Amino acid sequence: MLIQTRELWKTYTMGTEKVHALRGVTIDITKGEYVAIMGPSGSGKSTLMNMIGCLDTPSSGSYTLNDRSVANMNDDELAMIRNREIGFVFQTFNLLPRATALHNVELPLIYNGTPSETRLDMAKRALEMVDLGDRMGHRPNQLSGGQRQRVAVARALVNNPSLILADEPTGNLDSKTGVEIMGLFDRLHKAGNTIILVTHEHDVAKYADRILHIHDGQVSRDEDVRNAA
Amino acid sequence: MRQFFDSAIIALGALWANKLRSILTLIGMIIGVSTIIAIVSLINGMNQYVAAEIQTLGATTFTVDREGIITSEEEWWESRKRKKLTVEDYQAIDEVCVGCERVAARSITRRSAKYGNKYIDDVYIMGSTPEFPLIVDFEIENGHYPTAADYQHRRRVAFVGYDVIDNLFPGILHIGKEIRIAGQKYTVIGNGVRRGSTLGQSKDNYIIIPLSTFEKQFGDRRSVDLFVKAHTYETMDETQDEVRMVMRARHKLKYDDEDDFSITTAADIQNLWDNFSSGAFLVMIGISSISLIVGGIVIMNIMLVSVTERTREVGIRKAIGARRMNIMWQFLAESLTLSIVGGAIGIITGFLIGMALSHMSGIPLGVEVWSIIAGILVAGGVGTVFGVYPAMKAARLDPIEALRYE
Repeated sequence: MLIQTRELWKTYTMGTEKVHALRGVTIDITKGEYVAIMGPSGSGKSTLMNMIGCLDTPSSGSYTLNDRSVANMNDDELAMIRNREIGFVFQTFNLLPRATALHNVELPLIYNGTPSETRLDMAKRALEMVDLGDRMGHRPNQLSGGQRQRVAVARALVNNPSLILADEPTGNLDSKTGVEIMGLFDRLHKAGNTIILVTHEHDVAKYADRILHIHDGQVSRDEDVRNAA
Repeated sequence: MRQFFDSAIIALGALWANKLRSILTLIGMIIGVSTIIAIVSLINGMNQYVAAEIQTLGATTFTVDREGIITSEEEWWESRKRKKLTVEDYQAIDEVCVGCERVAARSITRRSAKYGNKYIDDVYIMGSTPEFPLIVDFEIENGHYPTAADYQHRRRVAFVGYDVIDNLFPGILHIGKEIRIAGQKYTVIGNGVRRGSTLGQSKDNYIIIPLSTFEKQFGDRRSVDLFVKAHTYETMDETQDEVRMVMRARHKLKYDDEDDFSITTAADIQNLWDNFSSGAFLVMIGISSISLIVGGIVIMNIMLVSVTERTREVGIRKAIGARRMNIMWQFLAESLTLSIVGGAIGIITGFLIGMALSHMSGIPLGVEVWSIIAGILVAGGVGTVFGVYPAMKAARLDPIEALRYE
């Protein structure tokens, strides 16, 4: 089992009031799955994504990622887990504006101490995998939205993570480019990568094999859509 | 380490991209470091100058004059009331002083000198007794000093410095020529070697004539300065006491009266200079530490702005696996780079200021390697100290909050 959460709760204190963003989420995701997490805004899907992505820790409950319990890790330990296990793709791309595509893709490798020649090789290969082998020296503002998102995907891939976590990856793209990016995720899934997609659009969620519907901080439905498309 | 260089390169790029802002940011640092460099170099140059001056006077020589070393207006007015020193004082000391190897008297004025239609203004005319050039070294290049016979017979002979030769005898042999000093004819009998200049003043701008001739032409109302050379350094104090006794007796001072003349040794000049230079060092430390603190605060401010501007970048870096130390180093490297660039500019500016001041004042510039190292270290230290807080602030950002930052 790649991801195993048990009774995840996340509670925020706003003034005197306690807000429960997650109310006991229990999910299991195995290696190689393509899962969409769907829900309207305020449903707690972003909180769940942050939790799965090891950006945040739960108020209570357990979370095991690749047989390692991450619920009680500190900042730096979480940073290392994120670096090795998770590749993020964000709605707003989140590339470093002043760095070239190559350097952006290289960045995760810098933080785990990969020697520079290996690093360059790996980054180039990742960029070639997303068909940007000819754009390595370009900065984000010299690339189109779709190209930027592909750089972000290359960055997510470069470290061979256990999991690719995409948060509304097509939210800032026109529909044609969005379809392209989703096609790229399909390819990555077929190549054996585990993908978790967070979205509120059903059209995007349907690319996945399985949809977890989130409502009021709980999983309301676990839907298998493998044959629906 | 590599990350550190990457950050340094990013910082340098940002500095270069905003040149005006960078200069404004670094101005405190530049002033602080350039003050250190300029003042250390000048004081050091001055040290060399004072040491050289003291060497020409020599450790066994002292002077007796009416004023001594004057450091305030009151002292100057006080000295005006004192009795003049005269040729008779010189003769009395010369006669009785056992510890004195040589004694000389000198009177001084500034006049013009002419040869044909060429002239030189404001030459120091020194009327001296025969021993004077032997005590205060005027090394002979040609001819000879005024002799005892010249002195006795009040001959109008002149031993000249190179400024006189350059102005009156360009390309002409000068020995034996007749020049006019303040209208009177003198025969040139010799000249000293070129001595150059210090503190912007030429040391070749002199004419030595016999003191007797001098007093005949210019009168004897000036107070003469006495120059005494003791036999050895060990007997300096005794010799000074001897001279002091003679002078007190001649001035009829009671046992509890203060001296109404002044004895100055090379050590006195050295002490005076030491006091002054330690004062200048304090001023330097004051100016540079204030500017460095201001410079540090400005750097801290710029770094805080930079952290805020790049909150999202920090979020991205943390999301993909940067640890606190990674972020910390990134921003520390940036503030360190800023401050060291400031320090380097400060060092260059310091030298330029030092060179300009040295050019204007004639103080030689004594470059000290330790002051360069100190400048860099101080700049780097300031950058680190004032960079820690912004860097820590960046390192502690919550990745989720940071990623959401617009």
